[in-house]
Amino acid sequence: MQLSHHGKVALTITALVGVALGLVSYKVSRLGYSLADVLPATQYELTYALSFDGHGGDVRVRSFLPTSGAHQTVSDERDVSSGLHLAQAMEGANRVATWTGAEVRDGSEIRHTFKVLARRVSYDIPPELPVPESYPPSVAAYLRPEKAIQVDAPEIGATVERIRSAEGPLLERLRKIYDLTVALTPRPFKGTTDALTALRLGEASCNGKSRLFVALARASGIPARLVGGLIMQPGAKRTSHQWVEAWVAGHWVPFCPLNRHFAELPERYLVLYYGDESLFTHTKDINFDYRFETRSALVPSPRAKASFTFVDVWGLFDRLNLPFSLLRTILMLPVGALVVVLFRNVVGMPTFGTFLPALLAAAAGETGAVFGVVAVVITVAVVAAVRWGMQRLELLHSPTLAILLAAVVFSLLTTTLLADRLGIAPLTRVTLFPIAVLAICAERFYLSLTEHGGRAAGKELAGTLLVMLACYILMNSLALQVLVIGFPEVLFLVVAANVYLGRWVGMRLSEYRRFRGLLRVTP
Amino acid sequence: MTGLSALRARARALLARRGAVVGINRRNLALVYPNNARNDYPLADDKLLAKELFVAAGVPVPETLAVCDGLFAVPATIEALRGQRDFVVKPANGSGGGGILVVGGWEAGRSCWLLAGGVPLSPVTLGRHLADIVFGVHSNQLEDRAFVERRIVPHALFSSLWADGLCDIRVITLRSVPVMSMIRVPTAESGGRANLHQGGLGIAVDLATGRTFRALHHGRAIERHPESGAPLLGLELPAWPEVLEVSRRAARAVPLGYLGVDVVVDRDRGPLVLEINVRPGLEIQNVNGAGLGPAIARAEGTA
Repeated sequence: MQLSHHGKVALTITALVGVALGLVSYKVSRLGYSLADVLPATQYELTYALSFDGHGGDVRVRSFLPTSGAHQTVSDERDVSSGLHLAQAMEGANRVATWTGAEVRDGSEIRHTFKVLARRVSYDIPPELPVPESYPPSVAAYLRPEKAIQVDAPEIGATVERIRSAEGPLLERLRKIYDLTVALTPRPFKGTTDALTALRLGEASCNGKSRLFVALARASGIPARLVGGLIMQPGAKRTSHQWVEAWVAGHWVPFCPLNRHFAELPERYLVLYYGDESLFTHTKDINFDYRFETRSALVPSPRAKASFTFVDVWGLFDRLNLPFSLLRTILMLPVGALVVVLFRNVVGMPTFGTFLPALLAAAAGETGAVFGVVAVVITVAVVAAVRWGMQRLELLHSPTLAILLAAVVFSLLTTTLLADRLGIAPLTRVTLFPIAVLAICAERFYLSLTEHGGRAAGKELAGTLLVMLACYILMNSLALQVLVIGFPEVLFLVVAANVYLGRWVGMRLSEYRRFRGLLRVTP
Repeated sequence: MTGLSALRARARALLARRGAVVGINRRNLALVYPNNARNDYPLADDKLLAKELFVAAGVPVPETLAVCDGLFAVPATIEALRGQRDFVVKPANGSGGGGILVVGGWEAGRSCWLLAGGVPLSPVTLGRHLADIVFGVHSNQLEDRAFVERRIVPHALFSSLWADGLCDIRVITLRSVPVMSMIRVPTAESGGRANLHQGGLGIAVDLATGRTFRALHHGRAIERHPESGAPLLGLELPAWPEVLEVSRRAARAVPLGYLGVDVVVDRDRGPLVLEINVRPGLEIQNVNGAGLGPAIARAEGTA
């Protein structure tokens, strides 16, 4: 019972693991790859949902749309307006959108959608950095008073005196102003609050605190401006947000006195405009209403795509116009197959074929796991019924399979049709399932049913679905996908694991149950 | 605390006993792969090929009445069988008993055979069945051969266990040395199949004495037949030394080292080898109440 080639196997595994780890460490240490970049980023899809009654007359709606920068990247923008014209123009740093229309009916809607990938930015302000004597003219404009930012009001001046925010280095001044505005009692948004009112009341919402911050900063000799935007959270809401930026050595540095962010901007903040503006201005008396709808999804980190370029399969797929989903499906198949091997050879769970569960899991990427299982069960039931009906014809194997293929096509089309009727969108995508894989799965079920009976066939089907779910969870892990794309040598580890399992003589878990009578201690 | 240490002792004992039991992974890696070359599998999987080797080596097998190796040979096969009684039609590469016809008598008046159950079988129907076998309907491959064997009349001891068909003796051999054995008995519950998972009985036979000492039905040890009530333990098998001898000779006749040899005992001809299996099942361990591990080690010592 001595196993031969023990040394060869050990050597193969060592070589595979060595090469994989070597390549990974080479990429990390020499090519600037970062393992942290495999973690996915959250991409938000935002929709402005605007509604109004045009009463058959002219309508004009003006708002701001976000621009891309260091903090946020905006993409996939599209506009659905019922008959309105969208014009865009840059006004300073702001992208202004104006929708106009004539003879606009009641109950009209504008839906403007875009995707945002944002990252947290933070700034270190040197403690000794002084406040400059003078500023370039474009920046100096941000020292002047505005209607709701009463820089020259005596009470503002007195407050600057009291907290001594007009003396010392820049950081110290900012800290004093920040602390004062943070200390104001927060209150829910109730319309616009100017800087002076916020100071007198000692309480304010985001816009009151921000205006007071800007007024005090300007009065202390620091250029500052309001920023308008949104805090992105999945769901629908009407609340927008305001915070501030101060001019620090050539950079506009963000502060949010309401949510206590000092010199940093969290990932969830979306910048829409700068200055004391209102987000929407529109024709009077049109019963205007708005809503921000936000959805979030995990996407590969843009830094991973930019830096994982040693063997740039990602870029190759982009150039060839092949979808990212195809790339990750291909690369994850060996991982899925390893999962199947573990379940079959270590757990001892029966499945249809060695790789069917992994292939099914790959296909379920289109429908989601639950509807993937539903699709498999429906197809297997339909095909088994057809097969049962054909049995009395006693046909040869290949023509039988060809007929089953047709049955799969019919059952998929019918499923799609019904899913469409019932409004189950993910299930309509079952037609993207590889038909041959389903046909083979159904055929295996039928053979097992006739050869081993309903119990065994049911067990195998349940095993197949369970392993398919396990494969799905692993194969659809975005972090794992990006890891394999950036470090394909990780697949050598998968191969090494298979070599090990290929020589593993241990008992399967199910066999502990099967042979429990032999393993039990005899009294 | 004592409960925990008792549990630990039990786990240790379980791990110690684990070495005796052979699981599927170990069977394949340590027994099947090193002893059976894959390109020799057809010698076992194709019952006709195996039979040719057995005949050449003088291993007793059921008498072959006819071989039908193509559609053109169907009419000649029918003619050869006209008037014959007590024969069995089988596909060479069948599995799970599919495609097997057991014929009892011949009715000269109607010019047709009678199946074992008494149903008439016309030459046209038999011809169609042979054509199906030849086209691979019963063997999941593109073509196959059909062969016809003399029906075996089981020794009285076996027909007392199951009257309507065959009980066979499974002998596991490692390099021609018998390692473990059992009788597989079909039941009404198993639908006449000798499959242990479908309600058939497994009866362990002591290699040294040829006596039955343990019987298993649905994983539970029993002493009497669950349907007839006949006692199952302490039976002395007929011609046991010869059963072991034909198993050894069958194993020597093929270049395969780890086998399940299926033997039947004919009332007149004694032990005959039915077929061999290159991946013999592991349930025999449960039937014998012992793992294959120690038996394999002993066999390796003698082989």
